[in-house]
Amino acid sequence: MIFRQIFRYEFGYQLSSPSTWVYFFLAFMVSFWFTAIVRPGDDTIYLNAPSFLVFATIFNSVIWLLTAGVIAGQAAARDVQTRMFPLVYTTPVSKWKYLSGRFTAAFLLNALIHLVIPIGFFLSFYLRTGQPGQIGPFSLKAFLSAYFYLSLPLAFYVTACQFSVSVVQRKAIAALLVSFLLFPILSQLIGYSVAVWLGKLELYNLVDLVGVSLIKEIETWTPFERNNRFIQLTGTLLWNRLIWFAIATLLLAYSYHLFTFTHQVENSAPKRKKKKTAAEVAVTDLPAVESTAASFFLPSFGRSAWFSQLLAITRSSFRYIAGSKTGLTLVGLYALHLVVFAGEYLKAKGVPQYATPMNVLPMLTASLTNTDSGLVLIPMLLTFLAGELIWRERESNLNAMSDTMPVSEWGLFLGKFLGLALVIGLWMGFLLLAGIGIQLINGQTSVALGVFIKALFGIQLINYLLFAMLVMAVHALVNHKYLGHLAVLMVYLCLVFPEKLGIEHNLFLYGSDPGGSYTDMRGYGPFLAPFLWFKAYWFGWALLLAVVGKLLLVRTMPEHFRGRVQLIKNRFTRSTTLTALAGLVIVLVTGGYIVYNTNVLNEYVSSGTWVEQKAGYEIHYRKYLNRPQPSVTGTKVNVELYPRERKAEIRGRYKLVNLTQVPVDTVCLDIKHGVETRNIRFNVPARAVVDDRFHGFTTYKLQKPLQPGDSVQLNFEVVWQSKGFRNKGMDVSVVENGTYFINYERLPTIGYSLNRELRNDPDRKNYGLSDWKLPSLYDPNSRQVRSGQELISFEAVVGTEAGQTAIAPGKLVRAWNEKGRSYFQYATHAPIRNTFSIFSARYEKYASVWKDTVSGRKRDVTFTIYYHPGHAENVKRIARSVQAALPYFTRTFGPYPHDHLTITERSDSEGFLNAEPSAVDFGEPFVLLNQNDNPQALDVVFFAMAHEVAHQWFGTGQVIPAASEGAPVVSESVANYSGLQVVEHTYGEEQVGLLLQMWRDDYEVPRMWYMNSLLQANDPFLGYRKGVMALYALTRYTHKEAVNDALRQMLTRHGTGKPPLPNTLDLYRELKAAMPDSLHGLLSDYFEKNLYWQMKTDQVSAEQIDARNWKVTLRVKAKKYIIDSTGSDIAQPLNDWIEIGVFAPGVKSKPLYRQKHKITAEETTITVRVSEKPAQAGIDPYYLLFDLFLDDNRKNVTIKGDGVENLKQGLL
Amino acid sequence: MELKINNISKTYPNGVTALSQVSLCIPNGMYGLLGPNGAGKSTLMRILATLQDPSEGTIHLGDIDMLNDKDEVRKTLGYLPQEFGLYPKATAENLLDYFAVLKGFSQKKARREVVESLLKKVNLWDARRQKLGGFSGGMRQRFGIAVALLGNPKLLIVDEPTAGLDPTERVRFLNLLSELGENSVVLLSTHIVEDVSELCTNMAIINKGEILLETQPLAAINALRGKIWRLMIEKSGLPELEQHHQVISTKLFSGKTVVHVYSDIQPGSGFEMVEPDLEDVYFSTMTGLMGTGRKKQEAAL
Repeated sequence: MIFRQIFRYEFGYQLSSPSTWVYFFLAFMVSFWFTAIVRPGDDTIYLNAPSFLVFATIFNSVIWLLTAGVIAGQAAARDVQTRMFPLVYTTPVSKWKYLSGRFTAAFLLNALIHLVIPIGFFLSFYLRTGQPGQIGPFSLKAFLSAYFYLSLPLAFYVTACQFSVSVVQRKAIAALLVSFLLFPILSQLIGYSVAVWLGKLELYNLVDLVGVSLIKEIETWTPFERNNRFIQLTGTLLWNRLIWFAIATLLLAYSYHLFTFTHQVENSAPKRKKKKTAAEVAVTDLPAVESTAASFFLPSFGRSAWFSQLLAITRSSFRYIAGSKTGLTLVGLYALHLVVFAGEYLKAKGVPQYATPMNVLPMLTASLTNTDSGLVLIPMLLTFLAGELIWRERESNLNAMSDTMPVSEWGLFLGKFLGLALVIGLWMGFLLLAGIGIQLINGQTSVALGVFIKALFGIQLINYLLFAMLVMAVHALVNHKYLGHLAVLMVYLCLVFPEKLGIEHNLFLYGSDPGGSYTDMRGYGPFLAPFLWFKAYWFGWALLLAVVGKLLLVRTMPEHFRGRVQLIKNRFTRSTTLTALAGLVIVLVTGGYIVYNTNVLNEYVSSGTWVEQKAGYEIHYRKYLNRPQPSVTGTKVNVELYPRERKAEIRGRYKLVNLTQVPVDTVCLDIKHGVETRNIRFNVPARAVVDDRFHGFTTYKLQKPLQPGDSVQLNFEVVWQSKGFRNKGMDVSVVENGTYFINYERLPTIGYSLNRELRNDPDRKNYGLSDWKLPSLYDPNSRQVRSGQELISFEAVVGTEAGQTAIAPGKLVRAWNEKGRSYFQYATHAPIRNTFSIFSARYEKYASVWKDTVSGRKRDVTFTIYYHPGHAENVKRIARSVQAALPYFTRTFGPYPHDHLTITERSDSEGFLNAEPSAVDFGEPFVLLNQNDNPQALDVVFFAMAHEVAHQWFGTGQVIPAASEGAPVVSESVANYSGLQVVEHTYGEEQVGLLLQMWRDDYEVPRMWYMNSLLQANDPFLGYRKGVMALYALTRYTHKEAVNDALRQMLTRHGTGKPPLPNTLDLYRELKAAMPDSLHGLLSDYFEKNLYWQMKTDQVSAEQIDARNWKVTLRVKAKKYIIDSTGSDIAQPLNDWIEIGVFAPGVKSKPLYRQKHKITAEETTITVRVSEKPAQAGIDPYYLLFDLFLDDNRKNVTIKGDGVENLKQGLL
Repeated sequence: MELKINNISKTYPNGVTALSQVSLCIPNGMYGLLGPNGAGKSTLMRILATLQDPSEGTIHLGDIDMLNDKDEVRKTLGYLPQEFGLYPKATAENLLDYFAVLKGFSQKKARREVVESLLKKVNLWDARRQKLGGFSGGMRQRFGIAVALLGNPKLLIVDEPTAGLDPTERVRFLNLLSELGENSVVLLSTHIVEDVSELCTNMAIINKGEILLETQPLAAINALRGKIWRLMIEKSGLPELEQHHQVISTKLFSGKTVVHVYSDIQPGSGFEMVEPDLEDVYFSTMTGLMGTGRKKQEAAL
């Protein structure tokens, strides 16, 4: 009865508070408009699909979690905070009824708020008509499963945690802190890093609070499943719920245990002092001390007083935060965690990287709106702390006194802001220390103090200060602590998802900048100036915000908003007016300059225009796709680079030959955006028919059609200069140090470019275009030579600033200086594909020669590595890789067609490598892998370079795949396979194992299990991972010569680069020819189907027969199935040769037994004999077949009559 | 320096009228504002302390327009609210120092002396290093006084200051106040009549937002002389007595009820005339026998 009364009163009381309704309203609005904020990536997924509701639920849950803590907090601590507790605690209510009544009310409220989420979500499909996208039938099951498996448990355990801590702390705000600690810190940051550290992502799934891991799981679902499958409370999710339920219950019990109906002294000072207090209080008859000293000093209110007041408030605010539990500790711990986990953060592909500034900065810095970084902690803390500061006096009930102090609102508002600023400064200091620590611990001898200081105290601090000002102003404006937090979160979400609000121009996005990245080669380079301009602009806004804060800061008795507005009139003092004016002037001047840069100097392309350009290109010009065109057979370019002016001038000449069988009278010229293409001239009479610069397409009619075999010359000029800055990003093609661009993004190309088509299907739909697809494998047109694939002779003269080296494909013919500039002339001796890059930077050069004694051609290959002076660590390793790869491939596949190979470092924050005929380039991070100190790790540098060298035979030189399905396999799978062969040849089994392990790890990453077959491969995963695993497995089913023979055949037949270009069907044919018939079934399983095996070793036992003989019995399970586009498994008859292996103890032991067994039944018992005592055994122990669950293939052996010994055998 | 309150009214957004047409003229010295709970005292005090704005009316402190030049007022204002909290983790010295800066003592040396003398004055010097969270009610009140006294305010507003104090503390506090009253306007709001009678040279009685009486305590007492009569009766006789006489107050004494009756003439047998005190003034005013209440009654007649 009493429980019901307490519950009902609390429930009713909170319902009568407007803030509670705000949470209901928010939950409703966000879910109601959810499909306007986020859309399924694939438009075959219904907007109201169960999986999408799960996503909506999780998204809403995060917002709820981070804002609605007040409900549980108030239920737990209102009596203490309102000082009503003496009345309540003295009633004859039992502790149990009191707490459980309060808790139940809070829980029910939160549960109801969660109920609004699916309701709002589904209602939107009835009330918000005209949503573009498919809508499926309403599913009650989706509603119920999302609510009862996700929302309700979450509501329970979060309420429980918040309630418990608030009860113990006797503070409502503690609930909000709990939310921060639970979600971003415990569940995301710690949970995730520990899981990554231990290499067990499943661990993260267990502690994942709101279900972020579920989103990742859904990514593995097919569209059919996403429309039809419901989440189930089994497996990890069940365990996750149970674990959190246990935590919540324990916390509740603990807080119940701690809670007492007693008065608690706010500050438990040491006993000794308390006695003194008592003594002091007793002496009350002491006469008041007469003191006249004070009257000698009179207050003064000049400028210096103003500053000392500001200083005092700043100091007091700073101390308040610094002394609080969360103020410094969280960021401090985060910084510490960075140092501890730096090794993990620095790893790329399992190999530690050198802790150069470029690799360390991403740990220490993140954009304010980057919610993936752990540094999102900082904006969250700022929100929280700003609220605490604004409310500090009022919460301590000191405001009546402090508000009458002769301090201007400036002092109050700015003082608090500056206090917060000092805290941010200290945080940056922590991160700076972390950066230094990371560099020192990870073997950097020189600490990049300057860069760190610039990044942390320049860029990051400015960003955080701007945000802090925004938060302070919002809190001052909203004037309700919890709604203030909510408002800030909403503002923050707007900053994170501006495109959803249609905000594209950075001028409208508080605190934004065009973005940028740091690389060792170019530093902050061109990004710095726009950054500063934008920040100056936002500083102007921050001043205006400060004025808002000053004007609206509640100082006297708050009444209603109108009263506050009236106050504004009085507060508009001269200083306020001046500040507002200054802010306005800054905003106008810098804003004007920014607009001048982004919209006048540079073309401002909104995303709408961008889509229109791409779609229009396809709509108008796709008709030219298969129109016969002359081919480029020779390219000559004169490139003048002006790195400091960020300018390039190119004069080019193409030799065009009609290689088709018909006369050609129209030449289509694809003109690139972002450059000026001019003086297009043919050496025969021709006139422009189409000159569409908006879409970048022109056609020229030749007066006399070009007959088959005839040629014509095309001259052109291309110039561009990066003027000022753009709204987003920078054109870094020509920069002070680290110029790099690729021809097809700048120079005109012949014919319609498939790669310029719009690929986003919803956008395509808006323009009436069908879904984007790679051209079909069976489309004969796809075997044509597309632009960029032509074989050309190439010549270039590149001029650049003195002191820099300019690089282009071909052999360096001549280098000279002229008029204070350096010139380099390059020419090829064998045809290359028409794809080339130009570089210029202050490079170091490493040159070496490979003497070709293999092919019998007696031709030396000079290879040159151009690298950034500070990036020398891996140069020798790259050279070693080239020295190993060239002879291996020459021997295996045939001669290398060029007499040189140029390897160039690209100024780039991405480390990927890129191969072009006779040239390879790599991004900076690639050479920052610390292989030297980690000899046991996979030699990624060696392998990747061998992979790129392999492209000189497959993918980019010689065998050029048709631009259709399967191309990633012909190019990347084969290159990976070839790289693997070089690794095996040079390093042996162990590195091969590491390489395979890396590929398998990627294999397990969540992804959709339904995918195309290898033959119709259409994504990088199939190309880089599955394809190579298949080729490798084939070497184990036969021998590597068989696969190598097939590849060599492929090269012989298709290595000319002439049409029809080869595709996977050709590769498959060669493989089939090289394999015995018995393996054709396996080949078909690998290449033609999306087929998986599922193998498991159930039981292994061994028995010693005599001194040299052991009998091992394995009970294994195996089946295979195809996963189709609906996500369902279709069982396939099993009739396969599968390896069975038995292993002796020890990690590096050779197998005692390794044979293929024909397995036809789902359950099989196999007995084999080995000569040593076995430790482990299993089915498909080397994972040659595609199995999604690898952990259960091997099992430890139970020795009969010897039970104990084997328990402690190490894993193989 | 003189505080002139002119036709102040205050109506809250919910329609409650807290003050209506209040006009007072308050000279240097102690001024008592007497009234029952809920009379509008605190509202008036907050308005005077620049924390609230009246709906209408003007207030001037000397030449300062208090409603439009709050910054100027605050430079010379001391305010001790009826209820206030302190930062529990700060020490007395530390927080008072902070307030001293806000009050315009920017010189470190001067501030230290000011803080020291004030802490000594309010007898918190020995407790200066203690955290305020551990202070007793009296100590907190004394700390508040120290804050209010910072900078020798020309206008000191103390709202129900003695409510939480024990008798000794109260005496000391009133002493402190009277010292200051010599060259400042000190406005003391209270519902305890003794506070006023002991200290104030001028006073006003307020009820339901209206000033009922503005006077000097002695003059008011003199005006009542010969009009207050006392009778001791059983409690049961009270209703009948109230029907026939102007009962202004009742008190219990040794189990009997002591009744004070207002009458220009001997009201009857058993009544004895008593020397009026300020309490009688207060009750007479509250029952409408003195001040504006009386005038209104007369006007009605």
